[in-house]
Amino acid sequence: MSGAALEAALGGTVADWLALLKPRVMTLVVFTGAIGLAIAPHHLNPVLAFIAILCIAVASGAAGAINMWYDRDIDAVMKRTANRPIPAGRISPEGALGYGIVLAVVAVLVMALATNLIAAAVLALSIAFYVFIYTMWLKRSTPQNIVIGGAAGAFPPVIGWAAATGSVGVLPLLLFAIVFFWTPPHFWALSLYASGDYARAGVPMLPVVKGARHTRICIMVYTLLLLPLSLVPYILGLMGPIYGVTALLTGAVFAYHSWRVLTDRQDAQGNSLTQNAPARAAFKYSILYLFILFGACVVDRFL
Amino acid sequence: MAAPMPRTELGPAHWAPEARAAFLRRRRFRNRLLLAALCGFCLVIYAIVLVRLHEFGTMW
Repeated sequence: MSGAALEAALGGTVADWLALLKPRVMTLVVFTGAIGLAIAPHHLNPVLAFIAILCIAVASGAAGAINMWYDRDIDAVMKRTANRPIPAGRISPEGALGYGIVLAVVAVLVMALATNLIAAAVLALSIAFYVFIYTMWLKRSTPQNIVIGGAAGAFPPVIGWAAATGSVGVLPLLLFAIVFFWTPPHFWALSLYASGDYARAGVPMLPVVKGARHTRICIMVYTLLLLPLSLVPYILGLMGPIYGVTALLTGAVFAYHSWRVLTDRQDAQGNSLTQNAPARAAFKYSILYLFILFGACVVDRFL
Repeated sequence: MAAPMPRTELGPAHWAPEARAAFLRRRRFRNRLLLAALCGFCLVIYAIVLVRLHEFGTMW
C-alpha cells in the first residue's frame, strides 16, 4: 500500500494517521507495559503477550487521537503543535474522533479476549482517565494538570502485569508510583521552555500560572521524592542489587539535572538567561532515566 | 487533505467520466483497506482462540 494511495483514499498521509497515535508517547507506554509483563511471576504465551502489548500500543494511540481531536483548538495556536494533522487541516476532526473510538474499543475487547478482564478493565480505565480526567477536565483547569493526569501514563506496567497474572500486585503499583512521580518533573522541564506556547493557548501549565521560579523548585522537589521512591522495590526485596544500584545512580543524575535547572542563570522572575539549556537537558535525561530504570528491572529479574 | 468529492444533484453515474473514475478508484481502495483491516482483526481473534484453547482448553 503506497502512502499516496492511502492519502487519496482517506485524506491525510500514512504519516498523518500515524501521527494521530502520538508514536513517541506510545514508545514509552509500550516499553513500560512490556516491562510490567516481563517481570510478572507468571508465564504468558508469547503470542498472547505480543497481542497484549499490541493492545496497550493501540489503546495509547487511540487515547492520543481522541486527545488531538479535543485539543485541536489549542493545538492550532501553539507553535509546537500547529502542524499536527487536525489543526493543519489534513485530517478531519470527525475522522480522528471515529478513528480513536474504534481503536480504543477494539484494543479493550481484544485485551479481554487475549488475556483477562482485569487487564482489559485497567486498560479501559487508563484510556478513560487520559481522555476524560486529564484531557477534558484537568488540562485546561489547573496547574496541577500533569501531576494528577500523570496517572494516565503510569498505568501500562500495571496493565502488563495484570495481563500476565490476572491480578494487581505491589511491584506494579510501585512502578505506577515511580512513573506518577516522574511525570511532573519531566513535563515541567519541557513547559519551562515551551511556556510561551502554553500561555498563548491559555493552558494553565505551572510556569504560566506560578512562574518559572516556582516551577524550578517543584521540579527539584519531585525529583528528590522520586529518588527514594525508586529505591522502595529494592528495599522491600522485590528487586535485586542491580536494580537498586541503577535506581540510586540514575536518580542521583536526575537530581543533579534538576539542581542545574534550579540554579540556572535567571532574571528576577526566574526566566532563564541561558535559553533554558539545563531544562532541555533535564527533559532529555528524564526520558533516558525511565528507560534505564525500567530496563534494569528486566535485567535484574533475569540475571 | 484529499480533494472533496464533486457534489451534484445527480449521482456518480451522471458525473464527468474522469470525476467518476477517480471517485470509484478511491471508493475501491477504501473498501480494500477496510477489508484488510477486518482480515487482520479476524486473524488476531483466530490466533487468540487457538492459543487459549490449546493452553487452557477453554476460552475463559
